[in-house]
Amino acid sequence: MKNSWKIILLLSLVIIMALFAGGLSNNPRDIPSPLVNKPASNFTAPVLNSQETISLADHKGKWVLVNFWGSWCVSCVAEHPYLMQLAKIAEKRDDFMIIGVDFRDTIEGANTFLKRHGNPGYKHAFDPKQKIAIDWGVYGAPESYLVDPTGMIKLKHTGPLYFGWFEKVALPQIQGKTNGSN
Amino acid sequence: MWIEIAHFSALLAIVLTILQIVSSLYGVTSNNNAWIRVGRHSAIVVALLLTVSTVGLINSFLNHDFSVLYVAKHASLDLPIFYLATAMWGGHEGSLLLWAWLLSVYIGVAAWRHWKTHPVSMPYVLAILGALLLGFLLLVLFLSSPFERLIPPPFDGKDLNPLLQDPGMVFHPPFLYMGYVGFAIPYAFAMAALITGKADEEWLVATRRWTLFSWSMLTTGIVFGAYWAYYELGWGGYWAWDPVENASFMPWLTATAFLHSVMVQEQRQMFKTWNVFLVTTTFALAILGTFLVRSGVLSSVHSFASDPGRGVYILGFMTVLLFFSFGLLTMKSEQLETDIKLENPLSKESAFLFNNLFLLIATLTVLLGTLYPLAVETWSDSKVSVGAPYYNAVFIPIMLGILFMMGIGPVISWRKATFKQLKRDLMIPLLASIVAGFVSFAIGLHNFYGVCTVIVMAFVMFTHILDTRRKVLARMKTSGAGSAFRAFNQLISRNKRRYGGFIVHFGILVMAAGFIGSGLFQEEKNLFMSPKDQIRVGSWNLTLDSVGKASKYNWQAVEAVIKADNDRGFSVELRPQKRVYNETSQPTTEAAIHTTWFEDIYVVLGDQVKENVWSIRVYRNPLIVWVWAGAGIMALGVMFALMQGRIRKEKKQ
Repeated sequence: MKNSWKIILLLSLVIIMALFAGGLSNNPRDIPSPLVNKPASNFTAPVLNSQETISLADHKGKWVLVNFWGSWCVSCVAEHPYLMQLAKIAEKRDDFMIIGVDFRDTIEGANTFLKRHGNPGYKHAFDPKQKIAIDWGVYGAPESYLVDPTGMIKLKHTGPLYFGWFEKVALPQIQGKTNGSN
Repeated sequence: MWIEIAHFSALLAIVLTILQIVSSLYGVTSNNNAWIRVGRHSAIVVALLLTVSTVGLINSFLNHDFSVLYVAKHASLDLPIFYLATAMWGGHEGSLLLWAWLLSVYIGVAAWRHWKTHPVSMPYVLAILGALLLGFLLLVLFLSSPFERLIPPPFDGKDLNPLLQDPGMVFHPPFLYMGYVGFAIPYAFAMAALITGKADEEWLVATRRWTLFSWSMLTTGIVFGAYWAYYELGWGGYWAWDPVENASFMPWLTATAFLHSVMVQEQRQMFKTWNVFLVTTTFALAILGTFLVRSGVLSSVHSFASDPGRGVYILGFMTVLLFFSFGLLTMKSEQLETDIKLENPLSKESAFLFNNLFLLIATLTVLLGTLYPLAVETWSDSKVSVGAPYYNAVFIPIMLGILFMMGIGPVISWRKATFKQLKRDLMIPLLASIVAGFVSFAIGLHNFYGVCTVIVMAFVMFTHILDTRRKVLARMKTSGAGSAFRAFNQLISRNKRRYGGFIVHFGILVMAAGFIGSGLFQEEKNLFMSPKDQIRVGSWNLTLDSVGKASKYNWQAVEAVIKADNDRGFSVELRPQKRVYNETSQPTTEAAIHTTWFEDIYVVLGDQVKENVWSIRVYRNPLIVWVWAGAGIMALGVMFALMQGRIRKEKKQ
């Protein structure tokens, strides 16, 4: 084997391995949303377990976390304890609130879920025909969007929110320390 | 109880694997055969111990022992027994155990079969294979143990991923792994040959059957995967150039190159470095396949079980393996140099060279397409995906090249072919293939690559048939075999390897016909239907009878009943379903497929749009069954070729 071939062979090995090492920290579920930094599509929908309706536009002036979930979604169970905690954080702040969107679901299913895993207390828009979910480009659950006070989507999180997410990711946005997507 | 026995067997297997490595190496350095014998016996005992582990885990599934975490995650009380017994490889932990078990069995067989024939290589082979097995066992036991308990046990398990509850998926992983793992043996022999400095033909003879066997398993495994995608995913296709599909395809390509280039080394003592490179690359790519599925670096339909923590381990393992193997190859390559040079560009050697070049370019094409998205994502913020357009544009011409070489390779002679011979062998096939091209165009094939493929296919077909015919005639003359049938029989049974290869080539042609039919002539219809609505697809009239409910085992479904009548008066009922599995509430589509030799009618039930209206997708996939049949023929061909080694060996003894 010629020396040049040896070098090419070993060098390409190094490059490929470096690529994999870098690739390990990628999150395959993290697909950038074209909606980030675009105005959020407004929705008005019935509130789960209530006669009233909820509209995103009514909450301009606050940071709104729109959390898409469904009782059929296994990862939503994993996410739920954090949402319970986040709901308490939201209650204490006047610049931040949460709206759940329960999509592709039945009322009974949703209620069983909330009974079994706890009710965080904020309002859920009920979206059985997944109209909101389609408008927002949701392709899985759970998925969460952070909407700023002017109604712009600031970031999208695919998969369960994790403990410490608010402080690490949302708060810098709210305090204006970062701009752009995460 | 069972699971503890399984667990302890696996732990003991680790200890004995270490013994196998250490004693083999000690034996060879101290020149003491007794120690190498210890290594050999350890290898055989390890195979038995891991068999106990595997049986123990399967038994826990059969007993619905939900106090085993892995069982609770991948089975349920309602899971049918067929899937229950095979749920062992439904998840990450179990499939790694399957890997390790298969490897240990192969090592045991190699230690048993090659002991007498390969005394020089044996200690190194045992040590290298032991190190590989150790790497996998450490991963199985300490990073992803299937033997963990779950206390208190739940009443019922979470059930197997519904997408995996399909016969295609039951067979896909074991066959694929039998192929992947099988390449470990030729790899280890090649490495041993480099270390001992005896890189002559010995290792090729030892590994020929291993390579053939693994190649056929890999082929079958890949096709089972395609079959699963076709039957279970409900998008009407079978191959999506998904990164993980590519990962199984790359070792197949290099192994195919290896199968051909070994012949050059056997006959002409050339390509020695190249062969070691190919076998190492094949095994490295097989490990890469495992890495891609198990580490989650790439997003794909195979993201069933992924975990970056294990990814780090497998990456480290791969790094050691790659730098050891290729480092050894570059250091020791001098001893593989030969003075024999290609005598003439018109020769079998050069035909194989081109075959190998095409196959290697094909591998690089797939590798680039697979790694490019990863590179973009790692070194920038954006995401890209490389899909069918890239592969179709780049891959089809390469494949045509490979097919063309397939027509020339078997008939051209070694060293130097004369124009006279070539004219005799290739003239008729060339003319026939041009005729075939015109005919195919005339009967409606208007795609450029389609026509090209038909031309090359006819060429290959005719070279093979004419070559066989000529040999039969010659045999009738010389040996006085009498009837053509007897002469033919003698011819192929005396040279099973060559004619096994012919059968494989024929299988590839059948498959290629399937690709043309299903790739270029697929019809797709998306529509809304209410009961009594009709639709015409090809020569079939489909009538939606009714939509009702169905349930069985662990699922419930909405089921449409569709009557399909074709113009010849044949009628069949199709029942596509949308299933929801009880434990996971994940919906899956069950396509209803009516298969004939000529075409498949493939119906998928979509959502209910409004009262009494459903969305329905209908595909007509011509010749798709030829893809599966071609794979079957290829496997048969390999089995036929495998029979030769045994007979020859027995004669020698």
